[in-house]
Amino acid sequence: MPQFDTHFFSSLIFWEIVSFGILLWVLYKYAFPPILETLETRERRIKESLEQAERHRAEAERKLREYEAKLSAAGREAEAVLARAQDRAQRLMEENEQRLLAEAERIKGDAASEIEHERRKAIQEIRAQTTELALLVAEKVVGRSLNDADHRRLADEALQAVAEHHGERGSGVEGEM
Amino acid sequence: MDNPLHPFELHPLVQLSLFGVDISLNKAVLMMWLVITLVAVVFILAGSSPRMVPTKLQNLAEMFVEFIRGMILDTIGQQGMRFFPFLATLFLFILFCNLLGLIPGSYTVTSQIAVTAAFALFVYGMSLVVGFALHGVKFLGILVPGGTPMWMLPLMIPIEVVSQLARPLSLAVRLFANMTAGHTVLAVLFGMALSLPLLIGWLPFVVTVAINGLEVFIAFIQAYIFTILTCVYLGDAITLHGHAEHAH
Repeated sequence: MPQFDTHFFSSLIFWEIVSFGILLWVLYKYAFPPILETLETRERRIKESLEQAERHRAEAERKLREYEAKLSAAGREAEAVLARAQDRAQRLMEENEQRLLAEAERIKGDAASEIEHERRKAIQEIRAQTTELALLVAEKVVGRSLNDADHRRLADEALQAVAEHHGERGSGVEGEM
Repeated sequence: MDNPLHPFELHPLVQLSLFGVDISLNKAVLMMWLVITLVAVVFILAGSSPRMVPTKLQNLAEMFVEFIRGMILDTIGQQGMRFFPFLATLFLFILFCNLLGLIPGSYTVTSQIAVTAAFALFVYGMSLVVGFALHGVKFLGILVPGGTPMWMLPLMIPIEVVSQLARPLSLAVRLFANMTAGHTVLAVLFGMALSLPLLIGWLPFVVTVAINGLEVFIAFIQAYIFTILTCVYLGDAITLHGHAEHAH
């Protein structure tokens, strides 16, 4: 085999060592450092990016939880406000109702007292007229004239007696005279 | 039909001598120069303007660097990265010698036993130097596999010595034989294709095409095997793998 021809061994080995040495030196000096550095830089950057992404994700998750908490707090708040509003509305309604009822009661009372007043007035008028009528009749019957004040007092006494005899209404009539 | 070993013959092109040693230039030497020029140009270009988003060439160089780095980390570990430039250059040198040798008319440097033997001896010698430098006499523990009983030592040590000596030999012969065999097969098939009538001569020619594809694959595989075995030997020397605790 030509490869076992020792004649070429020395030159082959010599040039192999020289060539390999030169290549090793050139690559070691000029080729590998920038490539290795780029790889390391990229690796570092990817790692950093991943870490940053992880941080952002955690941050986003935290914010989400925060907002969810805020949202549910707001929901509870809204519910409370609503409940309070309902409560207040209810109370206002009840108050109004009571007020209106009281007002109605008062109007009714007023009306009743008015009616009562009118009634009394009417009774009094009737009574006055009746007294006068009675005096007139008595004058005719007695045939003599008493002075006005005298017989008015007499009539009143007579009426008082009648009223006391009959009950309650007599006192009120006297008070107004 | 030509002698199929004819392509391996060398002829001095320029007679040179250094201190009485013949260092004449021949085709194999010119191929070495071509190889180192090509590798240097490709890798310097690839690393010349590094970008975060790599260009195609940069990407290729980075893939290669990652490949060698992975190989070192797998077989030696982080402390093996000191040998990265040497191992990467070794791989590139052998790979390009193998690949360029496939170009018709060129010369396969790694089909020379002198070249592969020089690499093998250098690599093995380096592993011994590293081993003794790191561990001193304890490095001899590499001759005693872990867990060997005392009375087995007279048997185990000679066996391990032989296996150690087989390392550089197998390293040298494997690469040389693979390259030589591949090119011999190609030469034989080409010879057949040329000497046979066209009617059946096309058949060996078709086979040479297939074999050429296989040879490209083998070029990669052999460069890889040479480099990874270098890693393993260096790794043994550095970590004294499984031997350290049984060294005495």
